[in-house]
Amino acid sequence: MPRPGLVAAGLAAAGLVALVILAALTGLGQGGGSVDWSVLVGPYGRRVVVFSCLQAGLSTLLSLALGALLALGLARRASFPGRQFALSLIATATALPGIVVVFAVVTVYGRGGWIGALARSFGFDPGTWLYGLPGILIAHVFMNGPFCARVLLQALEAVPPEQHRLAAHLGLTPRAVFRHLDLPILGREMPGLAALVFLLCFSSFAVVLTLGGGPDRATLEVAIFEALRVDADFARAAMLATGQLGFGLVLTVVFVALARRPAEIAGAGRAATRPDRESRGLRLFDLAALAIGALVVVPPLVAVALAARRLDTLIARDVMAAAATSAWVALAAASLSVMLAVAIAVAARDLRRHRRAGLGRLVATIAYAPLALPSFALIAGLFGVLRRVVDPLAIGPGMVVLVNALMALPFVVRLVEPPLLLAGERHGRLADALDMRGLVRLRLVDWPLLKVPLRSAFALAAALSLGDLGVIAFFGGPDFETLPFLLYQRLGAYRLDEAAAVALLLALIVFLLSLAAHSEPRRDAEA
Amino acid sequence: MLKLERLTVAYPDFVGRYDLVVPRGALCAVVGPSGGGKTTLLSAIAGFETVAAGHLAFDGIDLLPLPPARRPVGLLFQEFNLFPHLTAAENVGLGLRPDLRLSPAQHAEVEAALDRVGLAGYGPRRPAALSGGQRQRVALARALAMKRPLLLLDEPFAALDPGLRRGMIALVDTLRRDQGLTVVMSIHTPEDVVDRADLIAFVDGGAVAACGPPAAVMNLPALDAFLGR
Repeated sequence: MPRPGLVAAGLAAAGLVALVILAALTGLGQGGGSVDWSVLVGPYGRRVVVFSCLQAGLSTLLSLALGALLALGLARRASFPGRQFALSLIATATALPGIVVVFAVVTVYGRGGWIGALARSFGFDPGTWLYGLPGILIAHVFMNGPFCARVLLQALEAVPPEQHRLAAHLGLTPRAVFRHLDLPILGREMPGLAALVFLLCFSSFAVVLTLGGGPDRATLEVAIFEALRVDADFARAAMLATGQLGFGLVLTVVFVALARRPAEIAGAGRAATRPDRESRGLRLFDLAALAIGALVVVPPLVAVALAARRLDTLIARDVMAAAATSAWVALAAASLSVMLAVAIAVAARDLRRHRRAGLGRLVATIAYAPLALPSFALIAGLFGVLRRVVDPLAIGPGMVVLVNALMALPFVVRLVEPPLLLAGERHGRLADALDMRGLVRLRLVDWPLLKVPLRSAFALAAALSLGDLGVIAFFGGPDFETLPFLLYQRLGAYRLDEAAAVALLLALIVFLLSLAAHSEPRRDAEA
Repeated sequence: MLKLERLTVAYPDFVGRYDLVVPRGALCAVVGPSGGGKTTLLSAIAGFETVAAGHLAFDGIDLLPLPPARRPVGLLFQEFNLFPHLTAAENVGLGLRPDLRLSPAQHAEVEAALDRVGLAGYGPRRPAALSGGQRQRVALARALAMKRPLLLLDEPFAALDPGLRRGMIALVDTLRRDQGLTVVMSIHTPEDVVDRADLIAFVDGGAVAACGPPAAVMNLPALDAFLGR
């Protein structure tokens, strides 16, 4: 028998997610009045879609290449001075808010930045090369390359130590080790990862809005934003959001089909030394790979730290208010997201274990639905529904928390689902036999395996909410400002010193959250 | 002859110091409680542990300077002996040429090795299409194809049911006699090997606490707790 209380809680959570999404879809359906496909298939729509695909495709390719290089280098070099610090930098780059990344990229590569100054010192005019595809690619690779590296490194490190010992025993050459150990892992992980990175880049907002350089280089999300907030053309926004939804659905189906259950550490005994780590050629290769990674990741982070010359501006009243707003919004969104995720994952697991697999799969899939409905399509749809009954801006804070929680939900579920499944596989029957139920079972059976991933999930959801610019750009205003919103405004007003201080504050908070999220789990009871 | 003298492996939480002599062509069963150091002993012989002190030789050849691939050792773990993306034949072929560019003669060797372990015709199958016992047979076939005189088995049949486990041990014993192999096998169920082993080595606390013919060692009081007597 599935446990009725926990299953009911999970069904209620899934129902809430489904209700919000259905409301958004209804809003999109009603919003435009007559359907005008020319918005999507006309010259403007085609240009937006083609550019969205082009920048996302190139960003994905470059991010995967950098991620694979870094992951292989870090997997082969399992111990060197500063490795842990390098991993922390990678985690920080992954979670840095888009608007902070934009600021960092402009500070390093912009006309008035380091590269611009270098060009001028050699007598060249740096021009505005950054704005457009180059800037978008640099920012996306800075964010997603390290993300790919983390995912691939985790998979490479989960190879059982016996397989490395076997490779050493068989005398496999470095090339054969790559072919028989690394390549199958990369081949297994990369398709799902590529689909996810493409999806993230396809729906990129802050980077494209600020570095895109104009309407010619807009993604669908930016086009929706411009239609709603600049032109107040809800019909066009609804059509663009429908197009975004179509692409999102296809990409999400691809992602869910290709995504693997995150790798668990397998095998027995002590970790084995990789047999290819002594190869001199690979040492040079890995050194070059790590140097390239450092070149991509370190300068923007240093730029954020060095640019903040006016730290005194952080004590200004509006900064303090924005920081407080960011904090409570992030905490509320992360709490809501984690509660929804745990409720859904527990219910899905229990339903599957008790021969209601179809319903279990449906409940689990609902948690991934926000991936298919990018934040702007969700906002545009909710905007369309709510404006009939209430001023959407009047309930802005609640909407920001809700949408941020839903946007983080797929990532949170992905972190909490595997340990819950593992707890069920390991101890489910014993717990059934002992008639352990409800919160007691959650505390004694699930919690020991869940607590570390849950901490990571909470920190990730908080970081995602903290860095949000897309949702707050709709609902924000003078009375409701978060740190990214404030940073965006200060960048727009060319108050760069003050913007730098806010960027540093955001980066530091995200760094601390990354440390909390990625501190090593203890492997007790596993020996 | 395999000879270990004060072979020392040191970790912050564990120190193993082993003395052991196994005559050429003998089957030595390594038994003892979990965490006693059986796997560390076999890993040290295979070359996967950093040896802090002592001597290790086989037929008079010092093994310590040799990397794992150049030691005269064939090897089986309890799990993960096969690469899942390769077929059974390719997994065996890796033992002959790591780049898998096998000559016709080597292909024939692979087939012969699979035949010897009772898997003729299973070459094209991938590990996922084999049972646990068949997977271990493929790994055994690879060890045979490599023609290494010393075979180390680290609880390789622990996951098999009792009948299959005894069948695999009988197969190993037959191959040992046919090919003159020296076999060192760690095992949780000493009753499976007492009638076949020439030696039983009881490993506990990171040392070989007792070693000798099965009849003598199995009756020692030191094994009472381990055997539940």
